[in-house]
Parts: sequence; structure tokens; C-alpha cells
Amino acid sequence: MDEQPTDAPHHSVRTLEEEFLHKKFSSHYSQSRINVLRPESREFGFGGWEKKIEFRHIRVKNESELRSRLVSEAPLYISHSVAYYEFPDARPMVKKNWLSADLVFDLDAEGHTCGKFTCQHCMEKVKGEAHQLIEEFLLPDFGFSKNELSINFSGSRGYHVHVRSEAVAQLDREARREIADYVTGTGLLFDRLFWKEGKKFFGPKTADGGFGGKFARAFVKRLDNDEFALSISRKLKKPEEREKLRASIQTGNWDNIGIANREEKLAEKFAQMRLTLAGRIDANVTADTSKLIRMADSIHGGSGFAAKSVDSLDAFEPMKDAPIFNEGEQKVKITEAVPALTIRDHSFGPFVPGATATLPMACAVYLLCKKAATLA
Amino acid sequence: MASADLIFCSRYPFTKQAKDYVSESGLELTSTLVEKAEARVNNALVTGKVKRVAELPDAREEELAIYAGARMIVSSANNRYIISRYAVAEAKRAGEYLAGDDAANNGHVELVASEFGVRFEKKGKDYLVPLSAYLPFTPRSMDYKLTNRELENGFVLVSRHERIRMMEEAVKKKIEGSLPIRAQFSEDITEAGKRMLALIPKLEVATVSVGQENYPPCIKKMLEDLALSINLPHTARVALGIYLVSAGVTTDKIVDYFRHAPDFSEKTTRYQVEHLRSHKYNMPSCSTMDSYGVCIADCRCGTPLRYRDAINGARLRRLAAEKKE
Ligand code: SF4
Repeated sequence: MDEQPTDAPHHSVRTLEEEFLHKKFSSHYSQSRINVLRPESREFGFGGWEKKIEFRHIRVKNESELRSRLVSEAPLYISHSVAYYEFPDARPMVKKNWLSADLVFDLDAEGHTCGKFTCQHCMEKVKGEAHQLIEEFLLPDFGFSKNELSINFSGSRGYHVHVRSEAVAQLDREARREIADYVTGTGLLFDRLFWKEGKKFFGPKTADGGFGGKFARAFVKRLDNDEFALSISRKLKKPEEREKLRASIQTGNWDNIGIANREEKLAEKFAQMRLTLAGRIDANVTADTSKLIRMADSIHGGSGFAAKSVDSLDAFEPMKDAPIFNEGEQKVKITEAVPALTIRDHSFGPFVPGATATLPMACAVYLLCKKAATLA
Repeated sequence: MASADLIFCSRYPFTKQAKDYVSESGLELTSTLVEKAEARVNNALVTGKVKRVAELPDAREEELAIYAGARMIVSSANNRYIISRYAVAEAKRAGEYLAGDDAANNGHVELVASEFGVRFEKKGKDYLVPLSAYLPFTPRSMDYKLTNRELENGFVLVSRHERIRMMEEAVKKKIEGSLPIRAQFSEDITEAGKRMLALIPKLEVATVSVGQENYPPCIKKMLEDLALSINLPHTARVALGIYLVSAGVTTDKIVDYFRHAPDFSEKTTRYQVEHLRSHKYNMPSCSTMDSYGVCIADCRCGTPLRYRDAINGARLRRLAAEKKE
């Protein structure tokens, strides 16, 4: 099915659980803060159990219309375009008349293999990657200021970083692809950063911008490591030689000690280290100027958590800060094996199918959203 | 107006200064000048270059009038291929002047850059340029790949030569974007415009009109764009390739379609088409095509591959309905 009707469906028969969540979500939207810049110029997409974006090309006149649609329809997933359009509901896309777009970065637990339940390890890992994206790319390289960035949790495992800056608002797909490629180090070439001049071998200086500088700084730092240093040259056994090389790299001369096979050695280190220097984002999301992305502070229907706006990434703890249904308890019947979990300081499980439990609301909503329990 | 300014204007006739000069001085487009304007466009189309004339004081004002005339001729021809080829040639001409002026260090280069709202800041032998100007004004090629560039605090380091190359690109975009002018033109202009249309190589026209009646609108449009040397984004090229492969078009034929792409390379294209063929990629759905920005109609067929069935189906249903009545 590719046809995507713009209007919401007549709600088909809902299960008790769907009805329960619908009420919860709806009451949340009646009170919560709505956090969308220029909603009137965005395309919205709503999703349900079947598809995260079931209906798109939705236009709202203003924030209050958006709120009333959220209260009455209480979709499981709410997305909006990163783009601003003159006619957000027009179809096909070209008729929307694209005006500009936020630049977005999507970070997710890639290669996440720990099943459908949330895992602390993955969450920490992605948080670290978001931190790296901001501190090592967006601020120093791209020169965005902190107040041009807004970060939100995806509601599941990942994070979204939105950049609202005049400098990038007009960039087309191909320009955004360049930005994404830069962050992921795609197309990075050793030969472009290093060159021979006579007998000398030059490369980036530690103070340089771009990947060259990143590599030079990381390399100089790693010379402290014996194994690393010796794998480049036996000569580096001597601390003085290490110091000598280090000082030389600062100025862009990568070999003043006579490293045997220096080009191959350095190229090999470069190939290994570029992976750790590069950011891990979904490049397709960044390049897509008409991407629909989860609305900040909306509910993620697969967890019942908020896609919460994050002020301080370091202080943010998803399993504590993102759950929103924090009042009351609910008895549920477990329908599939659930591992031990902790949500908002409440530890529960593991559960076997058939068990029943009375849980704090956030935990019960989480299991219902995961379709791992029914109401009891 | 000082004559130093006239030098600037005649070299860079696309600037605001030049436009102001023309409107203040009320230059007239005599029939000799129209002829020269036609020669300028003709040269651009045939050789890819606009000749630089000897910069005699008298010739400078003329040069401005000729430029204005050339724009009218191009507009009257109103053809995408002509516009883009003409813009490239004018940009090259500007690039040559910029390179000379850069060496002479007379402030012209900064003035042209300011036309595009760009400031280059000198750093040693090189220049710093804001990313917001770097990305739109550099060609998408390995040489300008951002990944291998020094990027710091929103600025990219470019060489002196690259700075001129960027401005050339900016000139091209500006001229391309400003054409066609919509106006009524005199007869000698429209006649010249017709002669320019006749110059479009036969080949270009032929490729557009191969029997593609059954191709969906998006595919037709992409083939047309390719034939007119209009750049298609990567995603669009892949989708087009998959479509043509699934539609049973031979690799040779597909490579031919891509032959006029601005960055065509026979070897790469052949390799890529063969790659698509052997990996049996799925055709993107219409909504995916739409998100690539290449869907231009609402055919209700789900995927461009089913377009033929969809229109045939509609026709059959119509026939059936007519029969019943
Ligand atoms: S609806 Fe489908 S077939 Fe028609 S133009 Fe759009 S993408 Fe192509």
C-alpha cells in the first residue's frame, strides 16, 4: 500500500489495551507542552500499530489545532517534517513548495542486538555518540552555537539533534549529504591529507581543522601507548625519540626520525583510527530535506516514553527522565518473557508469560506498548 | 560614473553595479550590437566559451549592451539546454577575468564575491570561506569533498585558485537562475533566438523523443533532464537505473541515456548499471520517489513499475463501462 490518505481513518475496533493507551495518550496531550517551531509550515505524519507513519501530508493551522488533533486522535507516533513549506499538505511533494529545513542528525543504537526491550548498555553507547557529535563536530568544526542546537531523546534508544541555523537552512540534499559524509568520515582519503616533498613526508598539523587535525591530535596522544608507538617504529622505544616525533607532527612534518615504510605504517594507522574519529549518524536522515522526524516531547508508541527535549545530555537519564505516566498503578498479565528492567527507579521482572503483576503506571504502559502484556 | 567602474562592469556584466550602469546610461541596442550579441550566444553554445574582447575604452559600454542582448536572445529561445550551456560559458569568461584581477589585486574579486553575499578571509596564502557558501558554490567532486577539507568553526580553507573556481560556480548559478527574462522581444531578437534553437545538437533532441510513451511521468522527466545535461541527484539516478533495468532496457541503451549527464563517465556508468542489474534492487515506491523529489504527478500506481498497468487498467475499465451502457 503506497497510497497514504491524508485524513485520519475511521478508527477500527480497538482492543482494550489500545483503548487504554489511547485514553492515556490523549489526556497527556491535553495538558502537556507542545514544542514545535512554526507548526503551520510543517507537514505532520501520524502513525499507529501498523506503521510509524500511517498518514502524512497533514497540515495544521496553528498550535491549538495541533493540540486538539493530538487530544482527539492520540496517535501512537507523531512526526513532523524537518522542512518548512508554503503548502505543507500539497501533493506531490514538489507542490508543497519547500522553503527551508532544519538540519537533523539521527543517532540510534546501530547493530543493536539485545532484543526489543531497552538495554542500558545500548542507551549509554548512543548517548556517548550524541555527545561526540556535538562536542567534536557540531560545535568546533561546523561552528554552530549551543543555542542553535536542540536535542531530544527519540523515545526509544536514540537521540535526534536539530540544528536551526541560517547558515544551513537553505542547503539542498547534496550539500546536506556532504555534511553527513563529513561527520561519518565517508570519502576520507589518506592521500589527500598526506604528501611527500623531497625526502620529507608532510601531513596535517595538530592545530588543523577537519579530520586531518583530529587524526594528528589523536595520533600524538596515542604515542604514549608503548604498543602503539612500537608498532610504528622500534626507534620510538626511546622517550626522546617519541618527544621528537611528537613535536615534529605539531608542525606538520610526520617523519623526522626515519620511520621504515612510513607511508604504509601511517596509512594503516589512519585506516584503523578513522573509525573511532568518525561520528555514527544515519546519513540518509541528514540528507533528506523532506524527512518526517519524531516530534520533540511527543510520546513514542513503542515505549510510552516521551521523546523528551534534553537540556543537558550528561545529566539526562532516559529510563528516569523519559517515562511520563507516573501516577497510579496498573495490573497487567504478561504475555511474553520479560527480562529484569528498571524504569524510574522501580525494578521489576523478570516475568514469565502468564504471570500477573501490579506495576507503577509507567512500567505497565511500557509493557503494553511493547505488546508484552495485556490488561488484567 | 568613473571609468574604473566601467572596467569592472564590462568584465562582470551580471553584477548589480553593471545593471545600474546600464539603466543609468540608457544604452541602445543597435542592430550591429544584436548581431554581436548573437555571436556571443552562438560562441557559447558551439565552443562553450564567450570570447574576451580587447578592452578598448569604447568597447566597454558596447560589451554591456551586447551582454544584455545576449540574455534577451537566450530568453527568447527559452530552452533549458541553451540556458545552462550559455551560463557555463559566461561563468568561464568571468572566471578568466577573476583570475587576472586576483593577480592585479584591485579589489574586483572582493566586489564580485560580495555580489553573492560571500566574504573570503585571507589566511596565509589561502582563504577561509563560510560553509554556507562553500557547499552551494563548489562542484560535487572528489576534489571538493568536505571530508578531506580543513573545516573549523564553520569555515573551510580554500586555495586561491579554488576561490576563483567557486565564484565561477556562483556566477553560473546566478545566470542560470535569472533566465529566462519574461518579456516581449523585438523581431531581430526572436529571430536570433530561433537560430540558436536550431543550433542544439541533433543528438540532444533525438534522445528526448525515443518511444517512451509508456514510461511514467517521473521517468520521462528524468530522461529529459539527462538529455538536457541537467544534473540528477544520486538517488534519482539510481531509481532511474533500476526502472530502466526492470523495464528490460539494455545496458548500452541505458548508458546512452546518461551520456549527456554533466559528469558522465562511460566506465563508471556501465559498471553501475551492471551492478544494479546483478543485484536486482527493488524499485522505489511512488512515495519514496516523492521523497526524493522526483515524483511529478499523482498516477495512483504505487510504484512507477506499475504505471503501465495502472493506465491500461483504467483504460480497460473505461472501455468495459462504455460497453455496458
Ligand atoms: S506517482 Fe509514481 S509513477 Fe507517477 S510520477 Fe509519481 S512516482 Fe512516478
